[in-house]
Amino acid sequence: MTKTLSKNELESWLANILKERTLVAPRRVDDLTLFLPVHSTDEIAFDCSNTDLSPKDWFFPRTEALFTAEHKDDDIEITPAVIEQETVIFGIRPCDAKGIAILDGPYLGDPADSLWAQHRAKTTMIGLSCSTPAPQCFCTSMGGAPYDSSSVDILLTEVDDGYAVETVTEKGETLIQGVELKESDVSGSVPSCDAQVPAEGIAEAVKKAFDDPYWGRLADRCLHCNMCAYVCPTCYCFDIRDRTEGGKIERLRTWESCQSKGFTKIAGGHDPRADKGSRLRQRFCHKLLYFPEQFGPLGCVGCGRCVVSCPVNIDIREIISDIQELGAKVGEGSN
Amino acid sequence: MASDFTQQIRQKAIELLENGTVECVIGYETGSDGIGARPAFIYDAAEADRLVFDNTCTHNLVKYLLNKKGKSTAVVVKGCDSRALNLLLNEKQIERDKAFVIGVVCPGIVEWGWNKRSQRLQKRCDWCRQHTPVVSDFMVGDPVTEQPPAAFADIVEAEAKTAEERASFWQQHAERCIRCYACRQACPGCYCTDCFAESLDPEWVGIRIAPAESQMWNTIRAFHLAGRCISCNECERVCPVKLPLSLLNRKLEQKVLELFDYKAGMSEDAPAPLITFKKDEKLGIAE
Amino acid sequence: MVREATDKVDVNPFVPFPATLSRVVDLTPDVKLFTLELDNPEDEFDYKPGQFGFVSAYGSGEAPFGLTSVAYRKEGLHFAIRRVGTVTNSLHQLEPGAKVGVRGPFGNFFPMDDYKGKRIMIIGGGIGFAPLRPVITTVLDNRKDYAEVVIINGARTPQDLCFAAEFDDWAKAPNTKIELTVDAADENWKGRVALIPDVVADLKPSPENTIAVICGPPIMIRFTLQGLKKLGFGDDQIVTTLEGKMKCGLGKCFRCNVGEKYVCRDGPVFTFEQISGFIEQF
Repeated sequence: MTKTLSKNELESWLANILKERTLVAPRRVDDLTLFLPVHSTDEIAFDCSNTDLSPKDWFFPRTEALFTAEHKDDDIEITPAVIEQETVIFGIRPCDAKGIAILDGPYLGDPADSLWAQHRAKTTMIGLSCSTPAPQCFCTSMGGAPYDSSSVDILLTEVDDGYAVETVTEKGETLIQGVELKESDVSGSVPSCDAQVPAEGIAEAVKKAFDDPYWGRLADRCLHCNMCAYVCPTCYCFDIRDRTEGGKIERLRTWESCQSKGFTKIAGGHDPRADKGSRLRQRFCHKLLYFPEQFGPLGCVGCGRCVVSCPVNIDIREIISDIQELGAKVGEGSN
Repeated sequence: MASDFTQQIRQKAIELLENGTVECVIGYETGSDGIGARPAFIYDAAEADRLVFDNTCTHNLVKYLLNKKGKSTAVVVKGCDSRALNLLLNEKQIERDKAFVIGVVCPGIVEWGWNKRSQRLQKRCDWCRQHTPVVSDFMVGDPVTEQPPAAFADIVEAEAKTAEERASFWQQHAERCIRCYACRQACPGCYCTDCFAESLDPEWVGIRIAPAESQMWNTIRAFHLAGRCISCNECERVCPVKLPLSLLNRKLEQKVLELFDYKAGMSEDAPAPLITFKKDEKLGIAE
Repeated sequence: MVREATDKVDVNPFVPFPATLSRVVDLTPDVKLFTLELDNPEDEFDYKPGQFGFVSAYGSGEAPFGLTSVAYRKEGLHFAIRRVGTVTNSLHQLEPGAKVGVRGPFGNFFPMDDYKGKRIMIIGGGIGFAPLRPVITTVLDNRKDYAEVVIINGARTPQDLCFAAEFDDWAKAPNTKIELTVDAADENWKGRVALIPDVVADLKPSPENTIAVICGPPIMIRFTLQGLKKLGFGDDQIVTTLEGKMKCGLGKCFRCNVGEKYVCRDGPVFTFEQISGFIEQF
């Protein structure tokens, strides 16, 4: 017996939520589907496989003030940013939720990023498991699953006439309090993501293939725009700069990526990653080697957005496969 | 026809590489979805069979010549791409004798996305009146007769909206821009080593990813391309949030045509109107 | 090594300590020595040689600078700052009394205790000498704990030698040699005109019981390193402090990494033995 909710009951519940909190859900805007605040449940795109941009904007905004500073008499008054708004994200897929959860690694590592911590504390995630993964999906290869509930507060799974409900965390329990769930006899197949990307042992392979000319050749076609990093749920590099408006100074944090030229240019003009190959390699080493070495999980959750978006088809699944081959050759050659 | 184009390009690539005429042939190969093309860099004649040409070959490969300065490189160009080549020659960014141009009479490129087939032509191909490359060392396909020049129907339609409607339209889009700069990176006309958008002193734009800054970014980029944009529309194609960048570029293209009777990239030598001063020039402004 | 999440999530680590610029001294045409005093006595800023801090020019931004003073002298936080960009330009406009911010201390430090009893060579060029100054101060303030001290300080021109005012004091210390050199002399310069690696080659220091601490432009480091190795120095006897483009200093923005190492957390002080083991070689 499973706890279930009908579609209508879900919509009433969401309609109640949005009276008191910001409800963020997949919404169609022109040809795009994005995680945006909704003002009514009519605006929710229940049928999208996944959004064009990841929901990381709701935890790691594209632009965020770290604090504001104001000249007051002879002194400077600093006001650290405070996140007050309670947010509920509906329809987040297990891959994206996992992407948020693994970023706790760098962001909550000592010293903790208090803004990230606040966003996490103020946000409840109602996940939706994937009944039909999209062609670009490969979550299972990266240690996830279409029905993985480990990173959400509540997980809904589509069944006949509605959704099966799994309440995962205390936060989830608080959110669903008062909603009547039916006990139903639900049978259904467990969704599967069949893409086979050979990610097992990829960190070791990347290490072995580090100096291979592969990276330079791959980088030939890379445009070094920031797109892959910006659509990605787990890329988290940022820039910091002050901005003044009307006498108030904001210290802003914004998205930036290791792909842009000048990311590593030091004062004085020297740039250790001036060449395209080493810049491209940096992104994949970060995701597939440095991140797991430091925090445990791989830095890619298999959502496939970069695969769909890259204008020149730099495909991480292909890269993983190529690097495994190259890494194996290095193993053979060495004594 | 496409397969014949593919064969011709491969043959030429083999010949150029085996003779040592070029170090690299920049063309297209099929991407990881088996549907769409992606840029390919062939350094060895043995790999020439990776090259293809079909109606998914959307990328403007001329941009890559800027990474190959001083090196003999062959590049496959369609009509629009060839105009980009002239632009870069005109602006002294590449040397003519270092580039071997494999021109392809373009069949028109379809709208496609990763794993999404389509037979619908891209908008830019509807507008295009230059399917035959304007510069080439080797031509694949027979030159075509063009239809009469197209009116800027998209601009006329956009300008029919009220000022409020237009302001709202652009505000919405400015909210969506994530400043990934894919538009800039894909554009052969954008090659400044230090882009104005990233200048900190003076700070023209700033790092904030928000509508005011994004409006500045997109508008000024369009102005920097006025009289230079060759309408490959790659900027719009690559945009992850589907900003209608062609409206900005084409508005200025329309204006330049009207004021100067000039189309960018048609020849290597034609003086570019916005950097050419003629004493007796009158634009009818403020008269 | 896996980094664990911490429970301390309430303090915003990006907010600087309020500080006041107490003194500004011109060291060279483009380098000034700034002394900062923390405004709040309860703000802790205990640092060791090699560590760095971020100095904020509010309205412009902040940038990382090596601390050039020593904490135990309680003389305020000294930063030698060269005017190269927007933030440093803003800092250079400030007068004593100005309110600034400082974050830190960040990074690891020179293990001065491990160097006790050894001969210390301090080799630095230009503004790169700034993070080496606290090493000299510590050694000379504890003179008996260390063997011979050899200081090699170079710059492009005599005007660019940052700590010229202290050379006499350093030279007067027991068993301490100081060699100055410039790339291009002026009419008053009576010293060496040579590149630092050439000075090292000329002096032929023995690697016996010696630690060489070097810092300067990448090309200077590269050739000095080569020269020292030719003289028989082991990679573990040569120490440097790396510069990386930094933004957060907290190991979060992932900009300063050299391979898997963060210059802001695992460094900036590294021996060449460590550096040669990095997966990424710059």
